[in-house]
Amino acid sequence: MRLAARFNRFLRLARPDASGQAKIGGRRIYILPTAQGLGYGLLLLIMLTGSINYASNLGFLLTFMLAGLGLVAIIHTWRNLLAIELSAGRADPVFAGQHACFQLLLHNHRPAARPGVRIALRAGSSAVEDLPPAATSRVRLCLPTDRRGECLLPRLTLSTRYPLGLLRAWAYVELNGSCLVYPQPGPSMPVADAADYDHSRQGDKGVGADDFAGLRPYRPGDAPRHVNWKALAREQGLQTKLFGGDRSERRWLDWSALNGDTETRLSRLCRGVLDACDRQLEFGLRLPGLKIEPARGQNHRHLCLAALARFGRPG
Amino acid sequence: MKVGAKIELSAREQLTVFLFAAMATAPHLLHLAPGISTFFIAIIGLRLLALHFPGLLPGRLLLFLLTIGGLANVLAHYPLLLGRDAGVALLISMQALKLLELRRRRDIYVVVFLGYFILVTQFLFRQEMLLVGYVSVALVGLTAMLVQINRATVSERRLAPYTLALALLLQALPIMLVLFFLFPRFESPLWDLGLEQKGAVTGISDRITPGSISRLSRSRAIAFRVDFERDTMPPPALRYWRGPVLWDTDGKSWVQGKKLPGPPDRLLAASNPIPYSVTLEPTPGSWLFALDIPRQTPPNSRLSADFQLTSAQRISRRTRYQASASLNYRTGPLSVNQRQRALQLPDNITVRMRRLVQDWQQRADSQAAVVEQALQYFRRQPFYYTLYPPLAETNPSDQFLFDTRRGFCEHYATSFTLLMRLAGIPSRVVTGYQGGERNPLGDYLIVRQSDAHAWSEVWLPEQGWKRVDPTAAVAPQRIQQSLDPDLIDDFTGAPIVFRNTDSDLLRSFAHHLNWGLDTINASWHRWILGYSKQRQSRLLQLLGLDFLNGNRLALGMVAITGFTVLLLFAIIAYRSRDRIDPTIAAYRQFCRRLAHRGIGRQPHEGPRDYARRVILSRPELGLKVESIVRLYIGIRYGRMDNPENRRRLQRLVADFRP
Repeated sequence: MRLAARFNRFLRLARPDASGQAKIGGRRIYILPTAQGLGYGLLLLIMLTGSINYASNLGFLLTFMLAGLGLVAIIHTWRNLLAIELSAGRADPVFAGQHACFQLLLHNHRPAARPGVRIALRAGSSAVEDLPPAATSRVRLCLPTDRRGECLLPRLTLSTRYPLGLLRAWAYVELNGSCLVYPQPGPSMPVADAADYDHSRQGDKGVGADDFAGLRPYRPGDAPRHVNWKALAREQGLQTKLFGGDRSERRWLDWSALNGDTETRLSRLCRGVLDACDRQLEFGLRLPGLKIEPARGQNHRHLCLAALARFGRPG
Repeated sequence: MKVGAKIELSAREQLTVFLFAAMATAPHLLHLAPGISTFFIAIIGLRLLALHFPGLLPGRLLLFLLTIGGLANVLAHYPLLLGRDAGVALLISMQALKLLELRRRRDIYVVVFLGYFILVTQFLFRQEMLLVGYVSVALVGLTAMLVQINRATVSERRLAPYTLALALLLQALPIMLVLFFLFPRFESPLWDLGLEQKGAVTGISDRITPGSISRLSRSRAIAFRVDFERDTMPPPALRYWRGPVLWDTDGKSWVQGKKLPGPPDRLLAASNPIPYSVTLEPTPGSWLFALDIPRQTPPNSRLSADFQLTSAQRISRRTRYQASASLNYRTGPLSVNQRQRALQLPDNITVRMRRLVQDWQQRADSQAAVVEQALQYFRRQPFYYTLYPPLAETNPSDQFLFDTRRGFCEHYATSFTLLMRLAGIPSRVVTGYQGGERNPLGDYLIVRQSDAHAWSEVWLPEQGWKRVDPTAAVAPQRIQQSLDPDLIDDFTGAPIVFRNTDSDLLRSFAHHLNWGLDTINASWHRWILGYSKQRQSRLLQLLGLDFLNGNRLALGMVAITGFTVLLLFAIIAYRSRDRIDPTIAAYRQFCRRLAHRGIGRQPHEGPRDYARRVILSRPELGLKVESIVRLYIGIRYGRMDNPENRRRLQRLVADFRP
């Protein structure tokens, strides 16, 4: 591991500037012949030997033309990468075990096209694009994930073999991209098992406003709206109507209510969040050091899942 | 999703590959054994059919069998598997088999590389300029294939890969030229595999019969070209190029006979030798035609006693050699052997020939005078110079002298020689070429087959061997000008009309065009096809680089090539450099400098906001920052965009040191 780190320091990397764009400068581009390029060299050698032996001046002419072609290809392949700018786009959050897909933007400011540009992640996912002139291309690269948390965009390799495939020019790029990986949701729980759910301890005190839940004697201070006037008209005395419903369906997802190690607990909490969202329930999240008030909706879902993802991870 | 080299080829891509591979191979099919061509065409045909009927594609076993079959086919036709033809046959069979199993993009590399190799082998067989053009087209096509497969998707503009391939090849041209002219040349091959030369070659041979030289006169083919040093080219009347010397006759034809023993006759006197160099096209014999009389001769050649210059080997390829000649000379005494042979008479001398000669001898007082009498005879009698004299089978010379009096140079030369022998004057027939056309554009002499000539030499006591050309007596224009084969009338007895120099504008233009083409052709031959070690030394001398020899030449070549490559790179990079608007570049520089001092521009900050922020933290920069930003905004977004303001902005930014 340390060896890799020390090696990395020697690599010339294209790093993003203050605006998050990494530019491929000339000194960052490596270039070497490909296997086909080496075969080409061998071919030229054989042609040269034949031309010498048969004293064929036209043979020399063609051999040297091809030699020149191979040399000229060097600068064309090299230039195909020069001055490309890259930036990281969005990466939608995923669950652990799924693929984290990063959107990458390749900016080609040149008035000419750059065909055959390949961008790859170390994990083996890559894409080849023909970059049109003076335009930005979007590429999607995905990585498998197995842990929750921030999945940082690893080092990218930008490479090309255009135009003749005899040489490969490449450059390493680091971008500030990250994908949030939520914990893997635990197994789905039957509805009746409410052990994961923490009902409100106070129960339903009729202080809600939705469904009619019952009557009680009038207490001074009760809202006149809630007084059962019809009962009074029937000489049944002053009574207040009681309402509930919202309070009774509120859930708290609580860390302390679960057993198991950290990951298991997070996993089950995650399942809880998902289930609650499925049923459009209002829910809150209670974690050591963090409390999210009950609410509903997509944003709230993301907030909770993000909290679960980032739990215990610094930064 | 398969990426890059593993992508399978589309039908159109495959067809294009077949087209260019076949194009590269096609000229070979003309001269290889038919079995090889059949194999190639059959395999390609199978593949093309398989595009429609995929079931026809052979599996691995069948492919293996076909490979063995192909190899056996080659061995059957070229059992030794050595040499040029066998190698080419093998290459072509390999190419066919590779095309058969073409599936993925990466297979194309092999096809293209084989195609390049096959193109090179074309030049082992023929070297015409037309072939070079054809090969260039195939080269562009094959290279375009490589461009195509290194793209991610097929190019929208169909011709784009071809134009790029052409551009790359043109950029490679300077490197090619440097390498070509500087690469060391070897005198002999690294190992000898024998260069077979096929095809008939015309030219002077070592026997003449009436009509043999006139046959050559129909051909405009170039026999050889000559370079003289500045202003030393002799006049036409002295341009006699010596070939075979014929001593023996049977009355009808003249032959060289037994080789004369001994070294060349000693010269008693000779004018200053004039040096020249000859580029000789392949000829059936081994004569190196030399200007009368040869003095200095090239290495690997032999000068006989009768001044015939011959090469040690057959002239099967274009050959260059240098020699020198003395235009005026005097040979010494005649050896007994030579005298005997020079007086040999055939059996068919007629009475009237003897009487003619006796008549001359009576009137003349010396042998030189007899010669003059003979020439007068040709002049005064109605003799005509024609390519198609009437048939005279029985006794050609006799009939020519008295009856037909129509003949070509060989008739005059042989008859004259016979008469001289009759008069007791030793004489011999010399054949070769006379004259030649000067190409003013290139300043060299072109000698064609139509300049083939025969003349006579007589030995006189005071002068030694002296050239006498009876043709000059009858048709002096022939000596002064060249024969134009196109002007010859084809019917019996018609006299020859000699070339009219530039009688009208069109002919003059055609003549100049011809010269121009020949100059190009000659330059092509000299500088490219015939580029040799000698020519290379000459070139290096011209360029002042003659200190480069041996190992130093190789090093020099590498150095100069490297320099050319770098220069080329610089030019390419410069011409297609990414140009940023200098105003934007200046502004970016301004932001960069501030960023170094800790006040970098945020991506979302506009110039005005940024300027405000900068001034807040560094009030002392206020004036400068304000003027820069105001100017920038005015140029980019306002109405202040003019060259003067732009320069001002760049100056301000250049002087800006926060």
